[in-house]
Order: sequence, then structure tokens, then C-alpha cells
Amino acid sequence: MRQPAVRLVRLGRVPYAELLGLQDRWLRRLQAEPGTEAPSGTEAGALLLCEPAGPVYTAGLRGGLTPEETARLRALGAEVRVTGRGGLATFHGPGQLLCHPVLDLRRLGLRLRMHVAALEACAVRLCELQGLQGARARSPPYTGVWLGDRKICAIGVRCGRHITSHGLALNCSTDLTWFEHIVPCGLVGTGVTSLSKELQRHVTVDEVMPPFLVAFKEIYKCTLISEDSPN
Amino acid sequence: IALGVRSVQALLCTLRAVPSPATRALPAEALAAGGGAVRTLRTRPALLSVSKFTEKREWITTESDTGTVGISNFAQEALPEVGTKLNKQDEFGALERVKAAREVTEINEVLAENPGLVNKSCYEDGWLIKMTLSIPFRTKDLMSEEAYEKYIKSIEE
Repeated sequence: MRQPAVRLVRLGRVPYAELLGLQDRWLRRLQAEPGTEAPSGTEAGALLLCEPAGPVYTAGLRGGLTPEETARLRALGAEVRVTGRGGLATFHGPGQLLCHPVLDLRRLGLRLRMHVAALEACAVRLCELQGLQGARARSPPYTGVWLGDRKICAIGVRCGRHITSHGLALNCSTDLTWFEHIVPCGLVGTGVTSLSKELQRHVTVDEVMPPFLVAFKEIYKCTLISEDSPN
Repeated sequence: IALGVRSVQALLCTLRAVPSPATRALPAEALAAGGGAVRTLRTRPALLSVSKFTEKREWITTESDTGTVGISNFAQEALPEVGTKLNKQDEFGALERVKAAREVTEINEVLAENPGLVNKSCYEDGWLIKMTLSIPFRTKDLMSEEAYEKYIKSIEE
């Protein structure tokens, strides 16, 4: 049985706004295409990957940042944005792997809750591949992937007309002090961590990318088409 | 009805489902299977989670990343006799379409000697296969299921 294909788009280190802009273009493209049965050769969507070039705090659908907090965070030199994803406030910045799968769930035969579970599984699997056992996903309000009481990967997804956006943010070598200025995901008293902190060595986003893609293909049962391949 | 293991294996794909007898359980995850139809896993607050596939005659018990599959009481009554010919292309069709399945790791060999186990003990000793799941099912506590449902609803338009 032929696996569905997803276009792999690696942005490298770019401003968060660029990722959002590209995400919007993919959303419009996928929402414009009719029907649930894609003709063979058409992708089920795109896997957008980047490392944010600068610090940015984001709030979700349920909010998460008051105007006062927003002003304070901007004064620290960070961007502040509101997004349409689920979840509350979180931080994105250098050293973090941001993965936004913009997928037509119908073409993949996936329900939204399975997509969320699959994203969690990608982060858990990636931790395993990096030698970290014990990573586990937790249910709302603790959505995300945890090592003990420390969150290593945030998950915030949106789904409109079967098309997903946003995704996960995995701390590789993120400067975790940025998280001290917010209550991450609205969870008072919980910790954050990164692969570098857990493995006690510098783990870059670049290092983590190949095993992450392996995990993604394995879990979503799809092939990834590089963007320089013919369409 | 006596069964050989081979015909039982081949039947996994052709089984249609009915809800298995009630365990008061909480929905946990969903498996996508064949043509996008979704079946909800129901979990007991215990180490082993027994799930029902709505409208399917199979059940799956999950423990971490391993799933054990069997058939319901209703289904075992409807199995054909040994030697019934089935289409080769149907074999394991359902399992391949189950998105979360990674690999079949074990087949219940006891059934080769004692195929009647499927009839006598379809939920326990008469299990059919075990498989690893590429999307591990996480432990969920009792209180979180409602929160999870709410969360999924909140992010969907």
C-alpha cells in the first residue's frame, strides 16, 4: 500500500514570523484543494521545520498573556504574538526545534486526536533516540512531553476544516531562563528542560533534525518529499 | 466451531464489529483504520486498558506500546469452519490499515493446539496476536479524559 507523501520544508534559522507566513500560505493552498481523495502524487501537506532566530513569546486561543505581561516581555527584548493554536503562553527561541505539520488529516486518514498523539509520540521517540528514556506525554492541562516534572516539548495545535497548523516546540539547547518570565502553558510550579540540560552536553537543533525526521516518517507512516524535488 | 490459527489470522481483516460487552471505561485514544473510520479505545483505570472498537468485533488491550488483539464473543460465534477459503489479499488487511500498528510481534500459538480457546475465552486466553504500536498509548488518569475531549474540541473548527 502506497504511503502518503508530505512535503518537507526546512527553513533553518529564521524569524518566527517567517514560519507563520509560510504556514499561512500552505493553509490556503490545502484549503483550496477540493475533495478528500487526493490524486496520486499530491502531498497530504507540508512539514515545516525551523529554529527561531530570536526570542518570541506566544499566547494561544485561551489567551495566556495580559497586556501588562506583554509590555514587560517586550521590554526584555522579545517579540510577543497571539496565535490561533490551543494552549496558553509559551516561549520560542534559538536552540528550539519548531515543527509545524500543516496536514490535511483526511488524506492521512487521521482524526485530530490521533494527530496530537502522533506529535507527542514524535517527541517521545526523539528523546529515546537521543538516549533519554522516560519521556512521556501528558493529558491536558499538562499537554506536552515531560521528563518527570520538567517539560521538554510544548504542543499547541490548531485544526480548521481538517487542516492542521502549529505543532510542537522541542527544547534542544534553548536558553531556559526565558521561561522564567512567564508561567509556561499556565502551569504554576512546573519546570522546563531541554535535551542539552538532560544530556549534560550541547545538543543543537541540527543534530536532532535527522532522527526527528526518522521518527516523524515512522509514526505518521508517510514519505517526506524534499522541497527541491520536482512537484 | 473449530478453528485453525491460519483461518483466524486471515479473518482479522474481514471481521466487522459490534460493541463488545460493556466495561465501564473511559475513552482514551483513537485508532484510524481502513478508509478513515475511527474506533475509540476505552480504558479502565488499571494497568491494562481494554478497549472496544465501536462497530468492530475486535478488541485491543494496550500496555504502554504493546497491543494485544482479539475478537469479541459475538464474533467468535460467527467464525467460519476450518478450511473455509478466504481471499489472500484480505490477509492482515485490517491490521495494515490500523495506523498505530508497527509490527506484529507474536501470534497466540496455543490456538494451533487448542483453537477452541477463541470460542471459550475470547477476551483472555483466546487472544490472537500482539503487536507494537508506533503511537504509544499514554497512561491517562480518570479525571483527564474530559479535559482531553474539551481540549480537542477547543482546537478544532
